[in-house]
Amino acid sequence: MRGAVIPITMVPGDSPLHKIAPLPKLAWSFGVLIIAFMTRNPAILGTIILAGLLLTTIAQIWKPMLRVMIVLFPVFVISIFLQSIAPAFPKPWNPIVGFGPFTIYQEGIYSGITMFGRAFGMTLFAMVTIMTTHPSDLFASLEKIGMPYVLNFILTVTLQLIPILQREFGTVLSAQKSRGMKGTGFGAVLPSMVPVFVGAIERVQQLSISLESRAFGSTGNKTSYRNVVMRPSDYIILVSGLLATFATGYWILVDKSLDWSRSMTFSPTLSISLVVSAGLIFTSFVTIAIFKIIKT
Amino acid sequence: MSEALIVCENLTHIYDGEVVAVQDINLTIQKGELIGVIGQNGSGKTTLVKHFNGLLKPTKGKVFVNGNDTAGMRIQELAKSVGYVFQNPNHQLFAKTVREELEFGPTNLGVPEDEVKERVNKAFKFFNLEKYRESHPYRISFPLRKLVGMASIYTMRPDVFILDEPTTGQDHITTRIVYQLIERLRNEGATVICVAHDMILLAEVVERMIVMRDSQIIADTDPRTVFSDKDLMASTHLTPPQITELSYRMRDNKQIKNLALSINGLLEETSKNFNLKRSK
Ligand SMILES: Nc1ncnc2c1ncn2[C@@H]1O[C@H](COP(=O)(O)OP(=O)(O)OP(=O)(O)O)[C@@H](O)[C@H]1O
Ligand SMILES: [Mg+2]
Repeated sequence: MRGAVIPITMVPGDSPLHKIAPLPKLAWSFGVLIIAFMTRNPAILGTIILAGLLLTTIAQIWKPMLRVMIVLFPVFVISIFLQSIAPAFPKPWNPIVGFGPFTIYQEGIYSGITMFGRAFGMTLFAMVTIMTTHPSDLFASLEKIGMPYVLNFILTVTLQLIPILQREFGTVLSAQKSRGMKGTGFGAVLPSMVPVFVGAIERVQQLSISLESRAFGSTGNKTSYRNVVMRPSDYIILVSGLLATFATGYWILVDKSLDWSRSMTFSPTLSISLVVSAGLIFTSFVTIAIFKIIKT
Repeated sequence: MSEALIVCENLTHIYDGEVVAVQDINLTIQKGELIGVIGQNGSGKTTLVKHFNGLLKPTKGKVFVNGNDTAGMRIQELAKSVGYVFQNPNHQLFAKTVREELEFGPTNLGVPEDEVKERVNKAFKFFNLEKYRESHPYRISFPLRKLVGMASIYTMRPDVFILDEPTTGQDHITTRIVYQLIERLRNEGATVICVAHDMILLAEVVERMIVMRDSQIIADTDPRTVFSDKDLMASTHLTPPQITELSYRMRDNKQIKNLALSINGLLEETSKNFNLKRSK
């Protein structure tokens, strides 16, 4: 009856990654984020993805990672499809093949693949960080480096609200089914959104009252129940993360040969099969998702 | 001659492969019965009744509704014969007006338009909601919203009404109204299954009481027998109605003969006693 809850939360364990303090992991994740946006080089992005998969193995979080990726992967893949026909890339574009009003461009495929690589690599690192770190530790660390308490709090509450709303949506949907709702199409799901949103708003209103009554808005330093300790090894990982980011960033800025957008060519067959399979993966995902939501 | 409407055979439900919520339940509910289900928090009441309209499917065992195994049936199919009123009306209501809310169920069942109208009109009378016909369901007070939730199922004319805690969070007056409605539903020939925490009024209304504890049924009999069994009551951590407490004591003091469940019952008992003494 309950919808599949996407596990964007900590997965308990005692891998080496779980033992690292949050800050070094955050530093690496942000480093990856910066690098991923600085370059379109497939080799660098590929390395990031491989490293992400390796970390997933070390942390022994393949199962929850797969459950997240089943949802996100099709969304990333669609960028290959969209980019190939409308590249986010400076013109001129070199067409590879065309059929009807659609033309697949060389730059489009390149741009699509790199966008996919960026998104996939970044999320892998972010997910490894989230899944191996206790949320309280994560937020306590964020606060230490100057993240405002209120912002921090909003983030925590939002993250908590997601599974609650998912469950609520399941309840509402079953209430409609109990009234014989014909479960087909998006039109059927839409009525269920009303109670979920009304419920969410009411919940948030109550939350804000209960927060204020517990002196939420008071000024001064907040203390944290969990104390995060940085060990020497954590400092080493933190510093090496920062150095790696700077070094790679510098290399990307200096070495112009890293731009492969012209040298890396795609044959018409490869382009078509890439675009078609991207489209297929995405549409089948959407179909399955809608079907799963509506299915009794 | 009574016929079985709902039959559970060795029904067990386990959530997520670990939480055993109901265990090995055998139960038969006849047409026209008025049943109360009580038990402390988490004893499995909601889980049990959600099996009756297919919201949950048995992990082990079987549930039959009108002789059909629910395992292969969709909720939408079962909705014709089993009406389930959710604990929280906010989970149920979404239309722009109360009237549309009441039309939703029967329209889904394919009831012809003029009959839908007729049913809706009757529901407005039955629940005394005529004033709120064109009101927005979220604009009316919570107790009334709860009545709208019941009315939206009433227009579907199911054989069985399942009410999950219809009186929790209600003021005393609405609670009374709810129980009057339950009795009237039954008088119209419906079967009513009512899950509740507060037994004060339930005791006066139902004829059969199912008591749950730790995912099992520990008693299934008339309210009088349930309340007379002090050990049973203690083991569920539920407090019987105050009037019952009083009549326990009066019985222990030999002031009355039989246990009374309601004010009227106690009055009757005491007057019997009074007459008894006077005639001596
Ligand atoms: N969706 C669910 N997933 C996992 N466990 C659940 C779920 N729903 C209920 N449970 C568990 O099953 C047990 C029985 O729950 P149930 O809701 O049937 O009890 P209840 O008697 O209706 O309680 P209440 O009086 O609080 O409504 C409880 O231990 C509860 O925590
Ligand atoms: Mg319940």
